[in-house]
Amino acid sequence: MSFAANLILASVRMAVPLLFIALAELYSERAGMVNIGLEGLAAIGSLVGFLVCFVTGSAWLGILAGALVGVAVNMIYAFATITLCANQIVYGMAINIFAPALASFIYRVYFGTGSELSQITLMNGIGIPGLKDIPFLGDLLFNQTPMVYLAYLLVIVTVIYFGKTRSGLNFKSVGEHPKAAATLGIPVTKIKYVSCVLCGALAGVGGAYLTTCYANTYTEGNVAGRGFIALAAVIFGRWTGGGILLACLFFGFCDALQIRLQVANFGLPYQFFQMIPYIATVVVLSLIGAKKAGPRAGGQPYRREER
Amino acid sequence: MTKFKRALTSFVVPLLSILLAFLIGAVIMIVLGANPLLALKYLWKGAFGTAANLGTTLAKATPLIFTALCACFAYKCGVFNLGGEGQFIMGSVVACLIALQSGLTGFPAILLCLVAGAAAGGLWGLIPGVLKITRGQNEMIISIMLNYVATLFMGVIYTSWLRDQNIPQTPAIPDSVKLSRVFPNMRFTTAFLIAIAVGLILYYYLFWTSNGFKLRAVGYNMTASRFNGFPVKRYILASFIVSGAVAGLGGAAELLGTQFRLINGFGAGYGFDGVAMALIGQLHPIASMVVAIFFAALRTGSTTMQAGTGVPTSVSDIIQALVIVFTVAGMALVKLPEFEAFRLRLSGGRKKEAKTV
Repeated sequence: MSFAANLILASVRMAVPLLFIALAELYSERAGMVNIGLEGLAAIGSLVGFLVCFVTGSAWLGILAGALVGVAVNMIYAFATITLCANQIVYGMAINIFAPALASFIYRVYFGTGSELSQITLMNGIGIPGLKDIPFLGDLLFNQTPMVYLAYLLVIVTVIYFGKTRSGLNFKSVGEHPKAAATLGIPVTKIKYVSCVLCGALAGVGGAYLTTCYANTYTEGNVAGRGFIALAAVIFGRWTGGGILLACLFFGFCDALQIRLQVANFGLPYQFFQMIPYIATVVVLSLIGAKKAGPRAGGQPYRREER
Repeated sequence: MTKFKRALTSFVVPLLSILLAFLIGAVIMIVLGANPLLALKYLWKGAFGTAANLGTTLAKATPLIFTALCACFAYKCGVFNLGGEGQFIMGSVVACLIALQSGLTGFPAILLCLVAGAAAGGLWGLIPGVLKITRGQNEMIISIMLNYVATLFMGVIYTSWLRDQNIPQTPAIPDSVKLSRVFPNMRFTTAFLIAIAVGLILYYYLFWTSNGFKLRAVGYNMTASRFNGFPVKRYILASFIVSGAVAGLGGAAELLGTQFRLINGFGAGYGFDGVAMALIGQLHPIASMVVAIFFAALRTGSTTMQAGTGVPTSVSDIIQALVIVFTVAGMALVKLPEFEAFRLRLSGGRKKEAKTV
């Protein structure tokens, strides 16, 4: 297959973990919860997903475990920021420090130090009969791992949920103006907790994808800033499902391009190519500037009694 | 709450958090089949038991103090500089280039390395600062992205440009450029003294000068400061440059004092560690330095603990992470009106005004 076709296929694969993590942030921010702890959530999801897959041999159980541990860790964040009204940014940072430390501790206790890299079998791709034989498009859209389909399904569900359903509008109102939402009888605190459950689960899945569907081993720091790039993707995607999909495809493209350029070897040190996704994030963020389009009550604590 | 009580809570909450974190650490040790009291004894001995160990603790604390001060200073101005790691690394990279390539030796070389390291860190901090004030862009994401860029750039240096033959690391810097030890039998160098001096200067600037007051005012309430005519953007930019310069100086000092060469993993994690320490230290420069020394002690001691009891060193990372998780939650808890009411009921006080900010 040609270079370009390969590149596009790889972009889609690289975009998927970002997409899960960015959607996690979307659900969180739509309820006014700015969570910068995604990197940490993805890290612990990645490790636990790997571990469960290693023990049980099932990538699906790994993904499920990643989601569960993501929820569990994010509940710490939820309790501290919703119930105790801790600063969301600061607490997200605390999660970013806590979760990777926990992950590396579990890894070391389980595998010991100096043991050789343990490997797992990756999740198999499932081709959709008939459709997968269409040249190029078949490979791109219909011959991927189920997680890729799931990610795209999630985008569609998200767009419909926030755009077309009453529950989705209620959800959004919590992020825009929680007090007004509360006067309409919308359970603000409950929705905030629900958003944190969704955020933890999706970020955990995004992390678990990295070990169970992408690389078949766990290495420390394997999330490699995707948690933060996902934050940028939410801003770039203007807090909409479709926008986030495009943003993630763009960042996935940068990642795929970077790998291809490394392999092509232009006589430059490979690290210069590895910088591409990070520099692209900085450039994109500086180009779009700060047109504030996000939920208006993002980052603010909500207290019922307060006037 | 009175000023005194606020000061008290800002001591009590971190102390309780540390206690709680150690308790959980002890539970983990029991689960792993070790005696926590014995482990703690080894931890203490490893960190402070002998002059040599104390020296190692202080040497380990040095880079942490720099990044803690870096995070602390930016937070004081209300901006989140999460790029301490990148600024630290850029400082060390520039210092390394000068030490290996300039041909200078002795004191002038050391001075140039430190100054250039600080300048490089400041420049690296300038980028998110400029983007923040001109494009209003999220400084956290930008500064973190620049961490990765800096780490990769350092990789270029030690794997390609200044590679030590077959090993992916730079050659060691010449002996005459290394910082000297304060006491011959202790590992810490004059870098530690520089760190302390920087901390004291920042403390003096923040709390005893009018510019420092304005900077804190910007951090406390940006809108009010703007209406008061404070040059908010200039303070934000300056805080990024200074905090970057502090981290960069730290990187240069770490290179000249402890590591002597760039190698994979140099400076890794120091940026976020610095943020954690600044937060536990309640964004106070001196308290942050104390917390940095405490964390360094945990790390130094944990090696002895592992040798003595088999408890892996990463327990100390967990304890450190738990301290931050508890401290931040605890500080939020004591600010809740319900907590204040509860506390007043306990003390039987009848204070009318209990409003905290």
